[in-house]
Amino acid sequence: MTATFKTNKVQLTQDYIERLEAGQALLNDTPQNLVEVIGVLKSYGIVLDAYSVNLCYIANTQFLKLFPFFKYFNGDINPKSFVKNVWHDRINYEYAEYCMKSMFWHGSAGMDAYLDSDEFTDIVEEVVSAKFKFNPLMLGLHKVFKDFLPEHMRQMSYYSGLGQFWRVMSDMFLTLSDRYDQGEIKDIPDVVQHILDGLVADAAKPITYSVKVGQKTYDIIPESKGITFLMDTGVPYVEAIFFRGTPFPGTISYNAQAYQIPYDQGMFSYGALYADPLPIGSAGIPPTLLMQDMRHFIPDYLMDIYRQDNRGEGDLRIKICQSFQKSMFCVTTAAVKGLAPHALDTTDPEEKAANHKYLKAWLKRLFASQMVKVNG
Amino acid sequence: MLSALILIPLVGSAVVGFYPDSKGKISRNLAFFCAIAVLLINLYIGWNFDTENTGFQFAEYIPWVEWLGLDYNLGIDGLSFPLVCLNSLLTLIAIFVTDKNISRPRFYYSMLLLLSAGAVGAFLAKDLLLFFLFYELEIIPLYFLIAIWGGKRRGYAAMKFLLYTAFSGILVLASFLGLAWLSGANSFAYETLKLHDLSLTSQLLLLAPLIVGVFIKIPIFPFHTWLPDAHVEAPTPISVLLAGVLLKLGTYALLRFGLGLYLHAWVEVAPWMAILAGISALYGASCAIAQKDMKKVVAYSSIAHMAYILLGASATTRLSVTACVFQMVSHGLISALLFLLVGVVYKKTGTRDVDSLRGLLNPEKGLPVTGGLMILGVMASSGLPGMVGFISEFLIFRGAFPIFPIPTLLCLVGTGLTAVYFLLVINKVFFGRLTDNLDSLPSVKWVEHVPAFALLFLIIAFGLQPNWVIDLSEVQAIALLTGG
Repeated sequence: MTATFKTNKVQLTQDYIERLEAGQALLNDTPQNLVEVIGVLKSYGIVLDAYSVNLCYIANTQFLKLFPFFKYFNGDINPKSFVKNVWHDRINYEYAEYCMKSMFWHGSAGMDAYLDSDEFTDIVEEVVSAKFKFNPLMLGLHKVFKDFLPEHMRQMSYYSGLGQFWRVMSDMFLTLSDRYDQGEIKDIPDVVQHILDGLVADAAKPITYSVKVGQKTYDIIPESKGITFLMDTGVPYVEAIFFRGTPFPGTISYNAQAYQIPYDQGMFSYGALYADPLPIGSAGIPPTLLMQDMRHFIPDYLMDIYRQDNRGEGDLRIKICQSFQKSMFCVTTAAVKGLAPHALDTTDPEEKAANHKYLKAWLKRLFASQMVKVNG
Repeated sequence: MLSALILIPLVGSAVVGFYPDSKGKISRNLAFFCAIAVLLINLYIGWNFDTENTGFQFAEYIPWVEWLGLDYNLGIDGLSFPLVCLNSLLTLIAIFVTDKNISRPRFYYSMLLLLSAGAVGAFLAKDLLLFFLFYELEIIPLYFLIAIWGGKRRGYAAMKFLLYTAFSGILVLASFLGLAWLSGANSFAYETLKLHDLSLTSQLLLLAPLIVGVFIKIPIFPFHTWLPDAHVEAPTPISVLLAGVLLKLGTYALLRFGLGLYLHAWVEVAPWMAILAGISALYGASCAIAQKDMKKVVAYSSIAHMAYILLGASATTRLSVTACVFQMVSHGLISALLFLLVGVVYKKTGTRDVDSLRGLLNPEKGLPVTGGLMILGVMASSGLPGMVGFISEFLIFRGAFPIFPIPTLLCLVGTGLTAVYFLLVINKVFFGRLTDNLDSLPSVKWVEHVPAFALLFLIIAFGLQPNWVIDLSEVQAIALLTGG
């Protein structure tokens, strides 16, 4: 049995390598998949725009606020928006924070190296001193618990980093939808190529973070540090959100002592590519918030397809999640292609061998995901 | 007025049975109309009901077979009125939840109305023979309803039901005939026979067949074996009526005739009945724990919960006997709700097997509202405060404990086990991840849940305001205990 399984896996790995080398994607190229991916990425793009705005707003204006009661108001604090918030008639920004925290927890090599440096600590000290110049209580507390506020500012840096990353991704997905509407995107490889082009175009875009206290601006992450879009936010994002993630309450045991949860964060496999869409809608399942937001912006052509299904709009959030998962396999394909040591269609045997080794490492992780199931 | 409660479903049954209607739409509408009319008459009776009156009200009398002592003698009191209302409500619900595309609709609705007429006739009869006629009458439609529209083993279950309940009828009839003969009465009128001055031995001899007869009907261990089969094979609307009303014919007969006619003998056998109630409660609960079929769990739960009525009746305190009536209503509402919901689960998933079902509370692809209602139904059955089950069970145990402490404690353990077996079912069927083969279930329309919500409303309403039922039955309980 084990031998058969291994043989099947070897064959499957070979199949996926061949399809990637042939310019195909991890997701099967079918008209249904294309409509689902484009439609869901359009709504995702709109939602990401809102998330991005809020994350940047929090990073820029809510830093060093211990009780940021109005962090989801985006500065629009008035009785009307207060009622809207109390009624929860707003985007679920909590999901953006959930992603930020997941990313913060799993870390980003380049960004973490800087955030752990003395240089970062020094600039945070300056900001804290300026911010709490007339607040001896906070300054006293800072002296006693000196790691607290720097850690808070590290988190704010991630707010900002993810906000900037999603700004790019949002525009990319909305452009993709526009191109599909204009007939330029015809299949799944086109989708992957569009995303890959977008990632490459903004790969070196600097990620910076500045805050203003009084009239003075402090560069928390200066451009000179070389923190960039692709390697310091894009790749860590894929790793943290698509692959690792965090286990959701109720769907998996938290008995870490029994090693039911891996002791090494790197072995986590609770990310978007692995997630089971069925519990969506249940309590304690954060992606429910995303699906809830996206359902408001699903284009009509996709909504018509969803309505034709057994339960119509009754299980819409699960259907969106299933489509979303498909779209994430396209984004992953783009990332895999973009990070490959050589072009995947190379004919050079040495380059090909290097690519195979690289792809096998990815596929080893992806076989535990929903990839095979999604492709039927 | 009371005749209308019998005649409307009876005439309706005949009309539905003979009116040509191949699609069944007219039959259904006619049956529905009859059920609503009966329910409205119930409301009228309730509005004009005198709760202080210990005797029968709205009495009707027509001499019938005088040489036999059989008269058309009807009346309603605090003991029968709640059960008549329950019957009317559950008949309406049974018609409502019946599949619109059911096969042989004319015969089905005809039998359903006949069943309702039989049950209400038995509750209203003031003549013992008339009671027996109605008691037997409801067996016929129920037999057909199980035998024709039941599950795979419907023939076996229907025949078993027929044999058991027919035998139950013979024993009840034997008791009635013996009473008339030994007392020298020339009539089977309840009020006449109640005045007998039979010796304790004679009373014991007459009470014994009556008790065994109604124990089969209720049913009490070890006379219960027909019930799980009948419930499992019966279609959902019939299970609702069977658990909600027809079992109550047994407990009604126990109180009305056992306690009402043989009070002295009753006191003698009461300790043994109380022990049997304790055993039956534990047996029903233990069997329920072991079941894999959701319907069987509810069926065995019925055996356990009906035993509480026997305990309350055995204790013969004012509180416990009053609580018996309340428990009949309570069990009627709760078991009807649970059978309805199990029916919904079966209709949507095609199975009632606890091991095959999982995660039905899934909010998107499962049956979340059904699951939510089921949890509330289970809470009510387990006797959680604020719901009707708590009041009825608490009153029975409070009333019975000073008289029969050990049997009451056994029943208390039984009620504790209710939570065990129902939570096992809830945990397995509704919680966890929805199994893959259930991820394309059809959704449940809100209209399908209307009867369940109506029952739940009553379960909570009577749980918060039990006096609405207790005021009706308390005076009657005192009358039964004082021979009034």
